[in-house]
Amino acid sequence: MTVRMKIMLVWLSLLMICGSAIAEPFVQGGAIGSQTDDGFNALGPVVEQPIEFPHNTHAGQMGINCMYCHTYARRSAVSGIPRLDKCMGCHKLIESVKDKPRIKKLFEYWEKKQAIPWKKVHDLPDFVRFNHERHIQRFYFREDRPVREVCGYCHGDVASMTTARRVKALSMGWCVSCHQKDHLENVSTTKTSNGPNDCWQCHK
Amino acid sequence: MSLSNLIKNWSTLRVKRPYEDQYKDKDYKWAMVIDLDTCTGCNACTTACYAENNLPVVGKEFFGKGQAMHWIRIERYWGENEEMEGKFPDRGAQFLPMLCQQCEAAPCEVVCPVGATHHTPDGLNSQVYNRCVGSRYCSANCPYKVRYFNWWQYPERAWPNPLEQQLNPDVTVRSKGVMEKCTFCVQRLTEAKNRARTEGRRVADGEVTTACAQACPTSAITFGNLADDKSEVARIWARQKVDLAKDKQDKEEDLRGYRIFEDLRTYPSIVYMERVRNFEA
Amino acid sequence: MSSSIIDRRGFLRVLGISGTAATLAGCGNTSIESGVELVESYVQPEDFVVPGVGVYYASTCAQCGSGCGIMGRVREGRILKLEGNPQSVISGGKICGLGQAGVQVHYNPDRLTTPMMRDGDGLKPVSWEKAGAALSARLGASSPISGEQIAFLTGEISGHQRVLLDLFMDSFKSTNHVVYEALSPAIGQAANKAVLGVEQPVLQIDKARLILSFGNDFLGTGPSPVHMAAQYARFRKAPRGTLIQIEPRMTLTGANADRWYAIKPGTEGIFALGLANSLVQHQAYAHALPADIASVLKLYDKETVSELTGVHADTLSHIAGMLWENSPSLVLAGPSAEGHANGFQNVAAIQLLNLILENNGKTLQGQPAHPFPQLEPARSSTAALAKLDALMASGQCQTLLVMGCNPVFTAPAFVHFAKHMEKVPFKVAFATQLDETANQCDLVLPLLSPLEAFGTHVAGYQPKGVEVMIQQPLMERLYPETRAFGDILLDLLKQRNPTAYKAFPDYYAYLKTAVTKAKPVFKSSASDDDFWEDALRNGVLHLELPPTGLQAHTEALKLGKPQVSESDTQYPFYFVPSIKADLRDGRHANLPWLQESPDPLTTIVWDSWVEIHPSTAAEMQIREGDILSVQSATGIVRVKAYLFPGIQPDTVSMPLGQGHSQYGRYANDVGVNPFKILNPIFDERTGELAMYATRVVIKKTGENAMVVKDEGPTNVQQGRKLVATLAADQAALAKEVSRVTQ
Repeated sequence: MTVRMKIMLVWLSLLMICGSAIAEPFVQGGAIGSQTDDGFNALGPVVEQPIEFPHNTHAGQMGINCMYCHTYARRSAVSGIPRLDKCMGCHKLIESVKDKPRIKKLFEYWEKKQAIPWKKVHDLPDFVRFNHERHIQRFYFREDRPVREVCGYCHGDVASMTTARRVKALSMGWCVSCHQKDHLENVSTTKTSNGPNDCWQCHK
Repeated sequence: MSLSNLIKNWSTLRVKRPYEDQYKDKDYKWAMVIDLDTCTGCNACTTACYAENNLPVVGKEFFGKGQAMHWIRIERYWGENEEMEGKFPDRGAQFLPMLCQQCEAAPCEVVCPVGATHHTPDGLNSQVYNRCVGSRYCSANCPYKVRYFNWWQYPERAWPNPLEQQLNPDVTVRSKGVMEKCTFCVQRLTEAKNRARTEGRRVADGEVTTACAQACPTSAITFGNLADDKSEVARIWARQKVDLAKDKQDKEEDLRGYRIFEDLRTYPSIVYMERVRNFEA
Repeated sequence: MSSSIIDRRGFLRVLGISGTAATLAGCGNTSIESGVELVESYVQPEDFVVPGVGVYYASTCAQCGSGCGIMGRVREGRILKLEGNPQSVISGGKICGLGQAGVQVHYNPDRLTTPMMRDGDGLKPVSWEKAGAALSARLGASSPISGEQIAFLTGEISGHQRVLLDLFMDSFKSTNHVVYEALSPAIGQAANKAVLGVEQPVLQIDKARLILSFGNDFLGTGPSPVHMAAQYARFRKAPRGTLIQIEPRMTLTGANADRWYAIKPGTEGIFALGLANSLVQHQAYAHALPADIASVLKLYDKETVSELTGVHADTLSHIAGMLWENSPSLVLAGPSAEGHANGFQNVAAIQLLNLILENNGKTLQGQPAHPFPQLEPARSSTAALAKLDALMASGQCQTLLVMGCNPVFTAPAFVHFAKHMEKVPFKVAFATQLDETANQCDLVLPLLSPLEAFGTHVAGYQPKGVEVMIQQPLMERLYPETRAFGDILLDLLKQRNPTAYKAFPDYYAYLKTAVTKAKPVFKSSASDDDFWEDALRNGVLHLELPPTGLQAHTEALKLGKPQVSESDTQYPFYFVPSIKADLRDGRHANLPWLQESPDPLTTIVWDSWVEIHPSTAAEMQIREGDILSVQSATGIVRVKAYLFPGIQPDTVSMPLGQGHSQYGRYANDVGVNPFKILNPIFDERTGELAMYATRVVIKKTGENAMVVKDEGPTNVQQGRKLVATLAADQAALAKEVSRVTQ
């Protein structure tokens, strides 16, 4: 193969990459969903959960920090569903709501020592390696942004929902659109950096 | 890679790679050393790789068609130049653990028509399965023959229940029609890098290693960060006078380090240490 | 008290089904829709259990008898991968391919999931109630059988399982616990015992300047391959030691030798005595031997030895020269030297070299006495199997219990084990998977896999100090109907002697009590619970003890005139079985990773083959893949030819371990079983089967089939500098950077 041909091939493949990058926003989205303000098809279906968990009460009314319950988010790739004994830690002591049907269900699971079969709302393809820890560490701890903004960037305003519903695209183009932005390195500087653009950082 | 990144980083992308001190100010450049004198050919590394990286067992029929999926294999040679006719291999066998050399100027990268294989900032040769369309150009262009193609839908046949419960959730199970290869256990590297970033430091030497190096009963495989000149790998490369960016090393007589097919100017990231034999025995 | 740990282990349970499903579907095939998959969720996990993060637990590898400490990576309740445990002196944090495949024993799709009972011709699943009732009826409190009416046949077994088994047999006033490992080095152990006073000396491979090995495959199939590989790595660092290997067929260790010599099978002892003769003529060694031995040794002059062994006379002088120039040295005997009618003599002659060269105490040491000899593995022997076989044939044996042993597959055809087994009215197998022997039993009880059960192991070979290895579950049991071997034994013991064992609700409680009782020996002042938790966390209890000395009994060697067995015109070829490091005696042929792991020397997978030297093949016009019949006096197999340069031209070799018919989807109908053509030849001194003494005739059948292998069309480098070789005197090893140093 001549050098000229090689260069042509490199160019061809580069063009294809660029092409797909440009095309990305128009091929996203699930079956259901409307276009959101950032230009991506996003809104997911309503998911029926074993217990209709009221995020609006916990995160909204009570103002509990997301990471009080989703405690793994700051130290693992996955944020995790809170462990059942976490729910019980509070609800054993809250007499006023003990008779409500949702809490009764919770107690039933606890007595059976059975994990609640929550359904996934925010699901990524298996070839994607998304890391909660890095995002939380970067934006919540280092940049000191409000937790509802940091989590809400991908999960929407969960504090206004009962059970969570997907409102963002979670597509590659959508991820990249944020990774390309200039983010402040930390609170005390004007220096900015981008998210990684290395394929293997996110693809496994 | 996006268009804006491409334009922004154009000056670094258009230079010839590798160049002198390319990784000098970088955090990571993953590299390996394999000592052929202590490699015994025992195959512990290959089995460890099957376990870590969800490699399918293809069975006798497909193995016979050359469709084995071993990302690391032990090649065995008897002679250097001549066939072993009527003689004994009286200096033993010559074992060569062969895996993706993570070339700095990788022949596979330039021929991919869809940009599924790339060079990462850490100096790895990445393979993105969901991008791959299976043209197999990369495999054809690989001088080491270390890229493996999924000719069959192995998820349907290679892990009958409950074998699938052993699969590593950090590694994709590849489906039919995509190319795959050694990743230097990128899932372990990513985990270690993330942990280090959270703690505001660089990954320490010895903190992370590949599955093959971890298993190797004789510690013949050393893995580490070449960008950290105090790492064991960097010290071995330096002591053996192997320069990443050169295609011909000024080799001294008593040094054992060399790279395979260096003259093809692939600039591999794996240094092999020559096998030693006491010819007086 | 004891249940707290078991409760804590609740998190080992697989929680939610999504993890598995998600992994398998791979590459975009799973749904990414909301509300389709489940999230892993926990009820009350330990604080350190974080979804998405793997946690390591220490345990012990049960794949062979080496007793390597391992760590298992557990994530979301599943055991994913095994690594070596750095706390263990034996494994040193490393693991072999066989050990890696331990997860495939556990997850094997052909695992036994329920008890099985004979019903007509086949085994049918039954409930534990029914199985337990059948067991109690035969072996319970009112069982009339005793003494030689009952036999317990096992593979190598150590730790508290062995203690319970001994107690169980005691309750029948029986000593019929037969340990049969087809590949056990019983002849070598007997000879070592006679010459050195110990069955298995502890080797200091890294301390030797020169190793002369007669077929000892310490890197592949020795008593502790992972430990010895680490020693070997240090041996190869500056000042680099030299390895010389002499054997009829190249082993993995031979493939790593500086110099490899072929020798006629069975003549290793003669060559060793030739070396001894040459050595004692040297000033320094002249007084090493009693006069009577020295005088007989003179018959072993180099010309005679050369003629009998097929090794060049100059080679003998050369090796003798190397031996006295490189001290300390280490001379080793291996299976190919042991497995002959004169096997004992061969090993004794080889050990004589260590005595002459004064290696004892330097590169060979005695193993310190184990503080718990009742936990040590019971020694295996083929003689004991023969005795059991006779008991079965005569109809005396009423009940046969089998665990971890498959003699229907591994016993040579002349033993007729399967036929004699039919005469036993009640046969019980304890197994994780049905094999040829279990298939012949009347009752088969499903065991937990080693990754699901508690236990202890004591290795027969203790390289440094002594260790008791702890095995703990790395995962909740996969199948609710499987049980621990210890629990089944304990239940039976309770039926026979309710008062003695009532303190132990289960095997776990027994084990914990027994291990914590040993606390004073390990000089621990911790509480019982802390001691036990520490033992589980570390996976090993280590006791530093100095090595003991060795004795020197030259009189154990019965020296005579050098002679070899006459050639046999009907069966012109020596038959050397080869032991593969992963398949061993065939018990691991059910593991797909190992089937697909190429044999290091031939690179063949998923098959049996017969190795033949290219010069012999040329003479007989045999090409690779030609199907040959390999016939001995007792049997015949048909197998593909592979041209292999590392073998004597008058010898053929076949790997053991393949040829299963009833061992699950990965083992069945793969290759042939060379155990079945072994001749009834026994070592004269010990009566053990001489595995390397069979002679065969090979014939072409006219058929040819492809040999499935990894090797390409050429096996030479063609000047490509793939594996470069440097002369030892040119390499500046001392200046190199390495973690591994002498």
